Amino acid sequence: MTYLDYSATTPVNDEVIESYVRACKNFIGNPNSLHRLGIEANSLMKEATEQIASLLGVKSSEIIYTSGSSESNNTAIKGIAFQYQNRGKHIITTELEHSSVIAPLQYLVSLGFEVDFVPLDSDGKVNLEALKKLLRNDTILVSIGSVSSELGILQPIEEIAQLLKSYPKCFFHVDMTQSIGKVKLSLENIDLISFSAHKFYGMKGIGVLVKKEPIMLEPLIHGGKSTTIFRSGTPALALIVSLAKALRLAFQNMESNQIHELNRYLRNELEKIEPIHINSPETAIPHILNFSVPGIKPETLQHSLEEKDIFISTQTACSKGGPSSAVMALTHNESYATSSVRVSISYLTTKEEISYFVKMLIEAIERLQLHG
Amino acid sequence: MKIIQISAIWCSSCLVMQKIWNHVKDAFPEIEWCKMDLDFDSEEVSKYQVGDKIPVLIFEKNGEECSRLIGEKKEEEVMLWIKQNLEN
Repeated sequence: MTYLDYSATTPVNDEVIESYVRACKNFIGNPNSLHRLGIEANSLMKEATEQIASLLGVKSSEIIYTSGSSESNNTAIKGIAFQYQNRGKHIITTELEHSSVIAPLQYLVSLGFEVDFVPLDSDGKVNLEALKKLLRNDTILVSIGSVSSELGILQPIEEIAQLLKSYPKCFFHVDMTQSIGKVKLSLENIDLISFSAHKFYGMKGIGVLVKKEPIMLEPLIHGGKSTTIFRSGTPALALIVSLAKALRLAFQNMESNQIHELNRYLRNELEKIEPIHINSPETAIPHILNFSVPGIKPETLQHSLEEKDIFISTQTACSKGGPSSAVMALTHNESYATSSVRVSISYLTTKEEISYFVKMLIEAIERLQLHG
Repeated sequence: MKIIQISAIWCSSCLVMQKIWNHVKDAFPEIEWCKMDLDFDSEEVSKYQVGDKIPVLIFEKNGEECSRLIGEKKEEEVMLWIKQNLEN
């Protein structure tokens, strides 16, 4: 099997599975229970939370556990909007965001909030001057993903955070789902950060929203204090422990040059294939390479490669058919937007896998062009 | 006269267009505006055979489709499209 869809999800690391199983077997108590088993479970949860906070450079009390990035994004966006709507109802985002950012924003628009999209430069990066022009007295939130899942565009998060320091009434939310464990970013001056464990060899079903103090949020789930008042529910102890493990391993393995080399090799090979247009700019993170094969439906290409046991993605796993808004926003070309596919690689990817993929891709394109 | 707007909650192009549609709606109060969601109203949407190309506006006169406008458009383009449909 040639798996080239690591940005959709990653295989769970064995050590992470072991930590999960150990926590399940050895800590059966509810961390909120007051008896000995509960206290032991709570102590393990605190230890894991401290590890996560220390890796991220934030306080333990600023960690909110969620079911994943979609919930983190929803909690951040709706939570800020409902909590601070008296200050204003204006929110700024980009067209490159994940559907779990766009959908809550659509919901808020239906309730009377106003959303503006910040223009992007030709390489897909947020234009800081344009952002400055959009900021108003009633802007309460700017939500921008650090890395776009479809194209791998790395946004100038630290510069945006610096700019927003001059707007103390406006909060800055960053969806870091595609950058955690891949790119080193300072969390300083960012108010809210979302991410999910399954993107860095952790388990599905656990994510984090970092919410800096003393920001308040209207919770999505009301049910009283658990680990935090901002997200009720019995803490998923084993998943939390496994997330701490996955995050530590991801941070340890971040400095690999191998992915840069593989991306360069893949980019060079794809540039030789005549109908292909590479959508991901050179400045994108090396883990993601998005390209279009005009005239061939992405799903057809995807299934054709699947027959050769190669797995790539058409748009992101969470969006749905149709032209890609992200590719359209970047290239302004409908033909590219309706024929884009994404290859995402990891430290587990080998050069042999890339070579095999390129060979099979050429064959698939020839076959599909011939037979339609 | 009726405009059918087919969009989806997860679609960023639909959210981009929302502001423009609101302006257009105000400019043409005589046109009935009917909003459908690709997922939530899938049965009704299926009648229009939009496939997966959204956002889409469909202009109808006396229950007959006159034309459709697909994708992100500038406000002037939407206005012009409506005026042309009204004149035809």
